[in-house]
Amino acid sequence: MALRILTVDDSRTIRKIVTKAFKPFDCEMLEAENGVEGLALAARERPDLIILDITMPMMDGVEMLSKLKNEPVLKETPVIMLTAEAAKDKVIEVVKIGVKDYIIKPFEASVLIEKAKSIVKLRAKAKEESEAIKKCFAIEDGIQVLVLPDKVTNSVMAEVDSHLKGKIKEMEKAGITKLLLDLSKVTNVDLSLVKLIVSTFKKCKNAKLAMRIVSNGALTNKLNTFKEVGGLPIDNSVDEAKAALGN
Amino acid sequence: MGEIDKLDLKTLIANAIGEVFDKMVSLEAGVTAMGPQENEIEDRIVGSIGFGGEVMGRVNIHLSDAFARLIAASMLGIELEDIEEQEEVDDVISELSNMIGGQLKSHISDFGLPCELSLPSITTGSDFQIESRGWVRHEKVGFGHQRHRALAEVYVKPGN
Repeated sequence: MALRILTVDDSRTIRKIVTKAFKPFDCEMLEAENGVEGLALAARERPDLIILDITMPMMDGVEMLSKLKNEPVLKETPVIMLTAEAAKDKVIEVVKIGVKDYIIKPFEASVLIEKAKSIVKLRAKAKEESEAIKKCFAIEDGIQVLVLPDKVTNSVMAEVDSHLKGKIKEMEKAGITKLLLDLSKVTNVDLSLVKLIVSTFKKCKNAKLAMRIVSNGALTNKLNTFKEVGGLPIDNSVDEAKAALGN
Repeated sequence: MGEIDKLDLKTLIANAIGEVFDKMVSLEAGVTAMGPQENEIEDRIVGSIGFGGEVMGRVNIHLSDAFARLIAASMLGIELEDIEEQEEVDDVISELSNMIGGQLKSHISDFGLPCELSLPSITTGSDFQIESRGWVRHEKVGFGHQRHRALAEVYVKPGN
């Protein structure tokens, strides 16, 4: 089972850099942009490791760390502090509360990984997973079809998103202007799926590609509870979607 | 005031820029004693961060939008054309300012002048000047990569 790593930082840049650092490993990456979100996500997902910034709005890292240590189910969760605060007094403060390690920004990704490896067992991502994601893409009747797997975790979302960029470039070269996102195998609607749908739609819009989504009734109802997905073109079958795309 | 005078702000900020670029941007940043004037930088983006305590300070990093995009692509490990939104660039420069300011603030704190870092902010535009008043020291260094030139400023004054 993939390790769950939660990165809590108000900087989207840092969250992306941390996520990228763990990409070669069998990890599910979770993100929060402040201590309040971080605590809620930690309570729900029970991560194996937390990478935590200090200076954040709403609730800073020191307060989040203190609250974590007061939660019986979360207090043993290892934390690496990742911070621009290198002053000795701050470092001493967080070490006293209880972190496994700390890294001062700027940092090299390799240093983060080495410190993480000393705390959790990082396994290299199986090549099969990446190959499996590649197989989600196929060209049918001049349309790029992307069939999502039954469970769209954060790591699946990141892999698909990463492959999609390359696929769109290939589509542009081949003169393919239509994409069909097939959700018929998906069994669970959560934030990762919604983010992936929105990201795919944005990429298609930027590349001036027509896009349709295939989803069944129950899934469509759940998707429509997310305002980010409201208004997106959803069809009940692949044939309907292809017809709408003008095939 | 005496302690603030002893701070080698130019060296501190030059070292901070070098370290950030070396570890996270993967671009060589040549630091120079003098930088461009603010109005010489086209389509400017300015990352700012403050610190306060025994000493109060502000760091402004002035870059062209083109240089900012190059830095963003390099830091995020993506191609330039894969930058989707200006928000991505703004966030990278915000974090760059945070790290440079953080390094500076940490050295100042360890020097015996404890202070706290604020949250960074971003200003963009093509025709504006940032006027900072009431500071007792103001130092500037230039830095750049290939044809791109940028300016880092630091202002300090006694705090509490």
